Amino acid sequence: MYSFIEPTQSNQSLGDDGILFVRNEGIFDTMVKTSLLIASMIIVAALIPIQSSFSSPRDLDLIIYPDGSTHISAEIDIDPFLTDYELNLFGSTIDNLVVVGDNEFLLDTDIIDNYVLIQTFGSSVINIEYDIHDLVSKQSKLWTFSLDSPSNFTLLLPQNSAIVGMTNLPINMEIINDQNKLTLPSGKTEIDYLFSNTISNSIPDPKTEINYFSYAIIGGVLIIILIGAVIIIRTKQKNPKSVNHNPITEKNNILDIETIFKLKPDLREDDRELVKFIFNNGGKALESELRKKFLQPRTTMWRAVKRLEREGVIEIEKKDLQNLVKLRKNMEEEE
Amino acid sequence: MKKLAVFAIIVLIFGTVSPSLVDRAYGQNDPSILLRIAVQADKQIVNQLDRVYGDQIPNNLQILYDKGHRAVYSLDESLPDDIEKAKKDFLVAMNSFMQISRIISQSSEKAVVVTVSDKSNRDSTSEIDRLEKYVKTLEKISKKYNTNVESDFIKIYDLIQELRIQINDEYGAYDDVINEIKIILNSIKNDIRESAIKHKSDFIKRFFDRLLNQIDKLLTHAQDNDVDQIQIDKAHALILEIRELLSKNQINDAKVVYVELKELMKNIGYSIQIT
Repeated sequence: MYSFIEPTQSNQSLGDDGILFVRNEGIFDTMVKTSLLIASMIIVAALIPIQSSFSSPRDLDLIIYPDGSTHISAEIDIDPFLTDYELNLFGSTIDNLVVVGDNEFLLDTDIIDNYVLIQTFGSSVINIEYDIHDLVSKQSKLWTFSLDSPSNFTLLLPQNSAIVGMTNLPINMEIINDQNKLTLPSGKTEIDYLFSNTISNSIPDPKTEINYFSYAIIGGVLIIILIGAVIIIRTKQKNPKSVNHNPITEKNNILDIETIFKLKPDLREDDRELVKFIFNNGGKALESELRKKFLQPRTTMWRAVKRLEREGVIEIEKKDLQNLVKLRKNMEEEE
Repeated sequence: MKKLAVFAIIVLIFGTVSPSLVDRAYGQNDPSILLRIAVQADKQIVNQLDRVYGDQIPNNLQILYDKGHRAVYSLDESLPDDIEKAKKDFLVAMNSFMQISRIISQSSEKAVVVTVSDKSNRDSTSEIDRLEKYVKTLEKISKKYNTNVESDFIKIYDLIQELRIQINDEYGAYDDVINEIKIILNSIKNDIRESAIKHKSDFIKRFFDRLLNQIDKLLTHAQDNDVDQIQIDKAHALILEIRELLSKNQINDAKVVYVELKELMKNIGYSIQIT
């Protein structure tokens, strides 16, 4: 099923005389309604976990037992249009394998060397649990865990174990029942550890910042900033300093520079320089000319011009796709 | 239209920016963990060196230790301002300590590489813990299927308790109890399988039904787009064959035909997959 979106022409931006005016001040509010903004943010918020979840496996958790055997549990997203799914088991000495699909439906499996063939039949998520004895080796008193993981994973080390070497930077670490639990990145990882009765797990209890908390803070700050920006813009839109943009009714009643400054005593020094230049330039200047004259970046000058427009000192017109900045003619009347 | 465009742009911008913000926040989650791990490793290495060599630490190990210890010191200095340097220091320190501990292990008189996968090297407590975890998983699944195996699970948990007591009993019948547990577990698994057959059959039929309906629609579309009629007819024939096999409960045969159908669909340019 295909649908086509026909382009539509809106006449709203055209004035009665057919001249196109572009008002930058209200453009955001005109084009973006608060509801749209909120809707888009909700969609994005909903998409974040989906984006993250399309890595496979979604969750991978390992528990190392004191004898070096390792319990693996993983949650994996799979194509629901598959009848079978082949999964690498990281080794061949497997015990206690259980695979469940959607709604904890027990799935049939066949182990072939390092792989398991799972009859998924439409499951979109599978949970697999098994014990493996191939991930940890021991030499003298030193235990070495090795894994080439396709995704980030958590690793719970045995009690009284102390890490004495590792090849990767951990993403996080916390202590659970006197056991170190590391979150590690995907790729090859080797961790050496020893069992020690003499040295207790003296690592200070880490501040276990919950990642959801970080999510919430970042999301919250973004939402507050955006809502704030929208409110400010809307407030300004409701109380506009009425600016009459009609170039056809142009009159030669520009105030002299001293009067402008008297009417607007709070203008910034750099803005006064701009006004002086425009005044001396016959009451108008292109924004690009102002940039060249004052050697300012585009955004800085744009902000200055917008500031003066808000103050009611100037008005902006579009001329050949450029911004023409003109001193207001009826400033005194409005004041 | 304008609104739609701006809406799409906002979604795109935030969709692109927000996951990267989250990732960064996650990656930098409490960088002081690096220092904690490194300090702990440093202490362990000092202990090992003391225990094995006393005051006569070999020169190569002393050099390695100094390198690692300096890196730990530098790591401490780097935090919290210079995260990148801290990461490098961490890796240098942990690499040095890893080399030291491996050299010590290799040079040890009792340096024997133990294969953890060898059953004789497994620890009884670990084995019981793993077994108990497995039993709990099966118990959870059995509840889903309404199997009457509750009493079996009670029996298993009692035996597991018995096992834990017998670990330290030289004359205990540890292996016998383990075997008894395994027999009951096999019986439970069979019960679950039997109970699951009906569920499974319905489940698989629903799956194929959904799939074949979708393929039917794709074939209609293919017909509209002038795809070779012979191929389309063949696909329809395969669909009929699958449906017939399913009605006879011949699931595995249906699977084989489905693979053929999938290949055919791919050849005519209609892959069956999530896009």
